[in-house]
Amino acid sequence: MFKKIWTIFLRDLKVNIKDFLSLYILLIPFLFAIGINLFTPSINDTTVNLAFIKEENNQLVTYMEQFAKVEEFDNLETLKERVERRDSMIGIVPEEGQYYIMIEGNESDMDIEYSKMLLGLYETGLNIEDSKTEIIEFGRTIPPIKKTLVNTSVLFISILAGMLISLNIVEEKVDNTISAINLTPTSHNSFLLGKSIIGIIFAIFGGLALVYITGFGAVDIGKILIIISVSTIISILVGFIQGLINDDIMTAAASIKLLFLPLIAAVLAVEILSEKWQRFLYWNPFYWAYKGNDLVLNKSGSWGQVLIYAGIVLFLSGIVYVFLAPKIRKGLE
Amino acid sequence: MIKVKNLYHSYKKDDIYQVKDVNFEVEEGEIFGFLGPSGAGKTTVQNILTGLLEIHKGQAEVAGYDMKNISKDMFNKIGMSFEQSNVYSKLTALENLKFYAKLFDVETRDPKDLLKLVGLEDKANMRAGEFSKGMKHRLTFVRSMINNPIMWFLDEPTTGLDPSIAADIKNIIREKNKQGVTIFLTSHNMFIADELCHRVAFIVDGEIKLIDSPRNLKLQYGDKMIEVDYIKDGENINDSFSTILNEDKKKLKEIIDNYEIQTMHSKEASLEEIFIKVTGRGLV
Repeated sequence: MFKKIWTIFLRDLKVNIKDFLSLYILLIPFLFAIGINLFTPSINDTTVNLAFIKEENNQLVTYMEQFAKVEEFDNLETLKERVERRDSMIGIVPEEGQYYIMIEGNESDMDIEYSKMLLGLYETGLNIEDSKTEIIEFGRTIPPIKKTLVNTSVLFISILAGMLISLNIVEEKVDNTISAINLTPTSHNSFLLGKSIIGIIFAIFGGLALVYITGFGAVDIGKILIIISVSTIISILVGFIQGLINDDIMTAAASIKLLFLPLIAAVLAVEILSEKWQRFLYWNPFYWAYKGNDLVLNKSGSWGQVLIYAGIVLFLSGIVYVFLAPKIRKGLE
Repeated sequence: MIKVKNLYHSYKKDDIYQVKDVNFEVEEGEIFGFLGPSGAGKTTVQNILTGLLEIHKGQAEVAGYDMKNISKDMFNKIGMSFEQSNVYSKLTALENLKFYAKLFDVETRDPKDLLKLVGLEDKANMRAGEFSKGMKHRLTFVRSMINNPIMWFLDEPTTGLDPSIAADIKNIIREKNKQGVTIFLTSHNMFIADELCHRVAFIVDGEIKLIDSPRNLKLQYGDKMIEVDYIKDGENINDSFSTILNEDKKKLKEIIDNYEIQTMHSKEASLEEIFIKVTGRGLV
């Protein structure tokens, strides 16, 4: 049985690597991860970056290192080039015995005011020891938008896993090969499992790759695997159904996209709605998966909490399975 | 090898049956032809016998397996060549056969040998999607042999093939039969049935009208004819005469006595003519 399941999986993998659309889907987790890294601020952006001319005023540089991230440049020209880059970098430039602040224009007002204040403090001779202010760090090390994007993308990948399965089923239908499979000693269960593996592996490895590449590698892998696995079940079921009821790849892919609606609804509900309105999304497995993922990415969820969320997703997926399984079996006959 | 008793099937699961009270048996080592026009119920019966369709009423047994309670093990013993080619277009011919071979629990044949058997050895690494219709058909045909079936179902095995390839396919069928393989051949082509089958069944509107060997059918239903080409008053005339009817016999004698005979052949009734005579229906 396992040999047959593996054979069916390897066939799908071989075909998916040869097929442009499937190959594109397989690469999406990496493209998403790169995109998220490029377009969201990194952890370093949560402090102020200051640029100085090397050896110009070592005392000032040492002073500023207490409060900001400091970089030094050989001359004004290279400093200016650095400031002009996309990220937030403020130059402290000497002129006629005084200093002025050089900015590109995309720096936040807060960073600019903070730099001005630091320069004022230095000029008045105040040190950090003189400060009576206590800075409390709330443990936020990752920008919230990045976490939201990673969480949404992990669930998005689970839907793409369903799409991948759907494409493989449509291929079987177009080539009319299911009847040939039915004339071998391969059971329907082996066939379904064999066809599911590509989706499960894609969702798990794609999700993990995305998590690692975007800098969330320190999260509990076991917990995130649990959430990814259970949230993929519903996508796989829908993938099978759409594959069996559609006769061409584009229609099947378009039908699978309907799953993006409950996914987006779940994200918006958690991020925007108050708790009392969120109860209207309790039927949605993506809502619970998103909440579970959020706990894992925050590194704040216990095993108990994660298992409760995973259990709810599993239960809701089980209900969907009860409705869809007979249709899937009939479609394979 | 096959036993079918009072078999009924309705696609809508109502009382309007597409297959009605079908009864027949196929002996081990026999080539049994199941003949009829399109929509007669041939494929329905074949699909029931291969487990692709369920039995609604009646009984069927294939290779010792009850078709009402099919064991997956049965599929190790049967093979089926479909009328419509159904191979993975994105896999090569060799990959198609290797994949299919791995789905069986019994020893399978070397895919390369099978490809050679139908002249596809040079196309082993070509994607099946790039094959012509005939090449796909040949690939589907040899795939059905991969598990060395003892019961072989063939649905229109030579349809769409050029005469030389069709002759090769027929030779393979004969060879497998000599090795003891029982063959259930479904076709609307009476010539292939006449050439290959030990017995044939005529099916029309879901009912079997007759089962016998082609030879017996010809003896029973076929009028022997003589076809003559002769010259009369400088004109070439072609005519046919029954060897049974006295009037025709007299006419033929008169022609032989009085005119110059160009050609003269005895002609048996074809299976197709007998089918029309028995069922009152054509084969289209």
